[in-house]
Amino acid sequence: MFTDIARFELRYQMRQPIFWVVILVVFVFAFATVALDQLDIGAGGNVLKNSPYAILQTHLVMSMFFMFVTTAFVANIVVRDEDTGFAPIIRATPVRKRDYLFGRFTGAFCAAAISFLAVPLGGLVGSMMPWIDPETLGPVPAGAYVFGYAILALPGLWLTATLFFAVATLTRSMMWTYVCVVALLIVYVIADVVLGRPHLETVAAMADPFGLSAYALATQYWTATERNSMVPALEGLLLWNRMLWFGAGVGLLFFAYAYFRPEGKARATARADGETTQDVPPPQASGPPSAPPIGRSAAAWAQLLCRTRFELMQVFRSPAFAVLLLLGLFNALAGLLLSDDLYGARLYPVTRRIIETLRSSFSLVPVVVAIYYAGELVWRERDRRIHEIVDATPAPDWILIVPKVVAIALALITMLVTSTLAGVALQLGSGFSEFEMAKYLGWYLLPKAVDWMLIAILAVALQSVAPTKYLGWGLMLLYLVLTLISAQIGLDHNLLLYGQSPSVPLSDMNGTGIAGIAAWWFRAYWLSFSVLLLVLAHVLWRRGSETRLAPRLMLLPQWLMKGAAGKIALASLLVFALLGSFIFLNTNVWNEYRDANESDRFSADLEKTLLRYERLPQPAVTDVKLELAIDPVKPSLITRGHYVLENKTASALRHVHLRWDRDTRVTRLNVENARLEKTYGKFNYQIFRFARDLAPGERALLSFETVRSQRGFKNSGNMNRIVGNGTFVDNTEFAPMVGMSRRGLLADRTKRRRYGLPPELRMHPLADIAARRRSYIETDIVNSDITVTTAADQIPIAPGSKVSDVVTAGRRTARFVSDAPVQNFFSIQSARYAVKTRNRKGVSLEVYYHPQHAWNVDRMLTALEAGLDYFQENFGPYQYRQARIVEFPAYDMFAQAFAGTMPYSESLGFITDLRDRSKIDYVTYVTAHELGHQWWAHQVVGANVAGATSLSETLAQYSAIMVMEKLYGPEKIRQFLKFELDAYLKARGREIVEEVPLMRVENQGYIHYRKGSLVMYLLRDQMGEAAVNRALRRLIDRFGARNPPYPTSLDLIAALRAEAKPEQQRMITDLFEKITLYDVRTVGAASRRRPDGRWDVAVTVLAKKFYADGQGQEREVPLVEHFDVGLFTEAPGSNTFGPEKVILLETRPLRSGQQVLRFVTDRAPAYAGADPYNKRIDRRSGDNLAQVVVR
Amino acid sequence: MLSIEQLSHVYPNGMRALDRVNLEIPRGMFGLLGPNGAGKSTLMRTLATLQAPSEGRIRFGDIDVLAEPGRLRATLGFLPQDFGVYPRVSAYELLDHLAVLKGIAHAGQRRDTVASLLNKVNLWSVRNKAVAGFSGGMRQRFGIAQALVGDPALIIVDEPTAGLDPEESNRFLNLLAEIGENVVVILSTHIVGDVADLCPRMAVLANGRILLEGSPAELMAEMRGRIWRKTIDRAELATYQKSHEIISTRLFAGRTVIHVLANEKPASDFDVTEGGLEDVYFSTLSAMRRTAG
Repeated sequence: MFTDIARFELRYQMRQPIFWVVILVVFVFAFATVALDQLDIGAGGNVLKNSPYAILQTHLVMSMFFMFVTTAFVANIVVRDEDTGFAPIIRATPVRKRDYLFGRFTGAFCAAAISFLAVPLGGLVGSMMPWIDPETLGPVPAGAYVFGYAILALPGLWLTATLFFAVATLTRSMMWTYVCVVALLIVYVIADVVLGRPHLETVAAMADPFGLSAYALATQYWTATERNSMVPALEGLLLWNRMLWFGAGVGLLFFAYAYFRPEGKARATARADGETTQDVPPPQASGPPSAPPIGRSAAAWAQLLCRTRFELMQVFRSPAFAVLLLLGLFNALAGLLLSDDLYGARLYPVTRRIIETLRSSFSLVPVVVAIYYAGELVWRERDRRIHEIVDATPAPDWILIVPKVVAIALALITMLVTSTLAGVALQLGSGFSEFEMAKYLGWYLLPKAVDWMLIAILAVALQSVAPTKYLGWGLMLLYLVLTLISAQIGLDHNLLLYGQSPSVPLSDMNGTGIAGIAAWWFRAYWLSFSVLLLVLAHVLWRRGSETRLAPRLMLLPQWLMKGAAGKIALASLLVFALLGSFIFLNTNVWNEYRDANESDRFSADLEKTLLRYERLPQPAVTDVKLELAIDPVKPSLITRGHYVLENKTASALRHVHLRWDRDTRVTRLNVENARLEKTYGKFNYQIFRFARDLAPGERALLSFETVRSQRGFKNSGNMNRIVGNGTFVDNTEFAPMVGMSRRGLLADRTKRRRYGLPPELRMHPLADIAARRRSYIETDIVNSDITVTTAADQIPIAPGSKVSDVVTAGRRTARFVSDAPVQNFFSIQSARYAVKTRNRKGVSLEVYYHPQHAWNVDRMLTALEAGLDYFQENFGPYQYRQARIVEFPAYDMFAQAFAGTMPYSESLGFITDLRDRSKIDYVTYVTAHELGHQWWAHQVVGANVAGATSLSETLAQYSAIMVMEKLYGPEKIRQFLKFELDAYLKARGREIVEEVPLMRVENQGYIHYRKGSLVMYLLRDQMGEAAVNRALRRLIDRFGARNPPYPTSLDLIAALRAEAKPEQQRMITDLFEKITLYDVRTVGAASRRRPDGRWDVAVTVLAKKFYADGQGQEREVPLVEHFDVGLFTEAPGSNTFGPEKVILLETRPLRSGQQVLRFVTDRAPAYAGADPYNKRIDRRSGDNLAQVVVR
Repeated sequence: MLSIEQLSHVYPNGMRALDRVNLEIPRGMFGLLGPNGAGKSTLMRTLATLQAPSEGRIRFGDIDVLAEPGRLRATLGFLPQDFGVYPRVSAYELLDHLAVLKGIAHAGQRRDTVASLLNKVNLWSVRNKAVAGFSGGMRQRFGIAQALVGDPALIIVDEPTAGLDPEESNRFLNLLAEIGENVVVILSTHIVGDVADLCPRMAVLANGRILLEGSPAELMAEMRGRIWRKTIDRAELATYQKSHEIISTRLFAGRTVIHVLANEKPASDFDVTEGGLEDVYFSTLSAMRRTAG
């Protein structure tokens, strides 16, 4: 009986169209993740497209989204008989509940499991496609497919199947079951964020029913080689997780069984016969029984109003709306509450951030609401079988359609307003009382209301032509997918895909900028189109019994010809065309239209055409004289400049090459004694030939005038550098770069291959002596004299000391002259700043900030003071008379160190909330880092070869850590280094070219920042602060003058080796010249009380050391090194940990393998371990410490 | 008043639901009788402007129904064979809402209309209850109330008494008869009794064709003297079916009563019987089946 039922159920499910649709969709998606470059799950960089890692990741992600499918299969079992009215017949049969329920469930689950086979199948077929770059494919990993399907995906399917089977059994309602599905999804996402903190990773790994977290934890530090070749062992958390959730599924199934009543739910709709309403006496049936209807036009408004109220009631009274609203709100609030800045510090809830969070986290639910209710409302009359009555009334079609749109729109606006109130409440809750309603309105409420409205109208229009509600939903889903991949399929012009508009960046300083205006034009354009959609929906409205589209389509022309519909359609079409033309004029005529791949293509062409000039000796720039006129309103920047070029090479030069940013218009250009020989117009690149070769030491004057401006708006990439308030440009944007450099070339291997470039463009090797003639910044050291003119109410800033500052004729002009030579790479800024200054030993410390963002200004000044003191004392004197921190709009998020000037994004540091003193003072850290660059980059700058950034970024990290340690003590630094260690280990797995030792770092952030911090801190720990600083001071002494040849990482290593003891030399080798990893594990610790009252402690430590190659392949090497070994009364890293909790901390030699360390202590230790402070790079930093067992 | 000319409808699957239907329907109750699947509902929906026929013409007074469905709807009351209601909406609210849709914009006027109609169909006391919870008879009465909103000149009721108990059914038909005096009421049904009691005129529709049209009295008169009755054992039925044109069989006290249509007495043990409308109906259908077969 059981098997017959199961088999019948399976056959039934397989006959349903949804079964095949699911297989098709899933197959196509899995196929695309492998076969298309644009879509990757788990692959990318050096991780192969069909690597086990990518395959498993795809299985996991798909198993999560598959819950929508399993639910459709299993909930259908319960709901089907009731819905079709077949239930009484089933109930009358003698089938046993066990056979009936489990049989059906088995059949449905098998159907789900079978359809999931499309995932491995799609991936497998995808990997066989001939067009895939063979370099991104490995051998077919059959084991990974089996593991992914059976071990990772099936338990997830099983859980969702049983869970939603239980839910469906309880609720007997498809809608409620799906509400629970969405709820689970949202709770899942939130839990992912909540449990996403490092100390909760084990909880997260167990709690994730789909196993994604457990899998991520098991593989988090995997390198490319491991990802390409391995499947994680089925052990530990992963095994427990899979077993736990499989077991939970079994439990749920039995719960459903116990709860299931074949009788179905009691009719909620009790018969009303008996109950009567007595309050009002029946009215007298006097006069005509019913009044004749009045004129239709007069009735229309009443009908519209009444119908709208009615539809609204239907939405607002439906339980799903409240649930969805709460879920959306919960999701948005969680996003707001949990958003962390870097290193765990929080940000102030400025309105801009609240809106950005709401825009991203409160985006899915409203779209779901729009789509869901469009289907529900459009089909409601039919679903409720009242359509024949309603359709036979004389109400015109638009009276039936418009209220549905309005109801959805009002539901969405309700959500918007509610989310805004939640944002305001959150601001209030954190003591932030500046309410910027204008920002809420202009940046969030209005634009989002229109955007969602557009979606609602499209959904209504599609539903009114789709033959079924489900197909209508499907079409909307398709539309959503299109919006996600629009750039890949060539639909990235916002004129092409319905409802799209440019993304609008936000800034407290400058608002939404040009992009905000552009977005409104596009919205107006799509709104006019949506009117057309509404007219179409109106004339194609399904009225009466005819549900097919074709007969209604045939009537379309006739409908459009007569009456208002046609006129409105024509008018909206006209407006649509006019707006479209105007937008086209802006985006494609006044401005050059660039699609999503255009800049890659440009970079590739640039490289192909011009990289050959890279090594051509060029004259150096020695003096820079500039006059810049900023017009913040227009916006435009006109620059007049004079550069002195000098031949600093040993031989005569014939040519000078000038390269300009592609968006810079050169209006005048003259090189003294030279003529233009060749122009590469597309690349804004000119070659001048000297009439007479430029002899060594000889000079030539270069004069130019450039314009940088934008007329109207663009489709994307609108001007956000020269803006109303907060202009921030660097000299590559308005002045020439002399000679060809690698700035702006493509780095991604896959992209490079796609454009026919060699797969890698690596830095010049460390041994390249010739390349040492140029610094890695690829600019010269110059004297600068810069005059900036801007609006009278703005403060202009350029490098150097300000020698004059006057306001004439509504324009403010300031002149800046360098006190000491600066890198010919600097920024110009202008905004309505507030200024705060301090003086520290003759150096003027200045912070230029947006008046609203005053929170951390003093902290920055203090950090500058502390940094200045430490660096001057330990490295050498500061070379400028001022150190400025200058805020710029949040359109970008970085801080940068130009000579004496450090531009800081408004989103970075200025709004960090550091009132909680247990957090890492990220502001001081960044400030000290950027100040450190005044020594490390602006005094000692690396040659243009591999390893260059170890001299600037790594040493700036070291400088910042030292300042932090002076201010906050070593415990805070350990907290900080934990983040660094984790970031390094995670990032190396995502390396796209090759992980190199620090000595040969090729501008890889995770190496020169993250690993750099760890390396330098360990060095300092082992060699002592004084020795390290002596070595660094020697570098300044030798290379501070910045003359070629420039230093390399070898010089840094040599300086350190000179200070290191002989036994520390190998450590320097391991840290700089190798990729070294340790695995130190305390496998046991026991203590026993001695007769004298003291304690014998034995700690068993397992130690290993590895060298890794560039792809993460590891090789174990013998370990004989000294390690910290410690005994504690509390675990280091806990909140209450302090020096008094340390019983013993000493260094002991460790060797490869297992060893027992013995101690005698006065107090009983609770924790013991080797390398307890995680100073070494260890992939399992959590097992260094163990609890001590008392024997 | 309502004239239907050459009305045909073919569904996309090829089924011919209406086949050149011609009818002239005057004021008063008009009964449309036919077995399940005869095309009654198709005809009703077509008359109610809910679907367009493949060909043919329908006029109501001066309205060309197919060209100007909106004008007809303004004066139409329609009670579908099977209808549902919105959830969580009371009888009063729903009727009020439908009244707005029918164009009664003035609130006071609508209040009077809704109250008097609810009163008329005896639902006033339960006006604040959700219609979704009504019993079949109450729901059907609500259906007729909504069909009467706005004083329609054409009322179409499709199988209204199906599923009602005799008492409810009676009450319902009385209500219809009351209204049917001044306007066109088309009552589609497969229950012969409903038509016989109420309708001065009727037609029989089967297989999409009008087989018979006229007043029940005339039609019954035509059959007078040609209907013969005999009570037999059930086992004998097959024999009789071979030898006689049996138009109906009915069980009575455990035995089978057969009616046979013949101009002369088929056999001596047959009695002549007064033909009812049922005999007219069944003889029409069986004649059709014979021609078809």
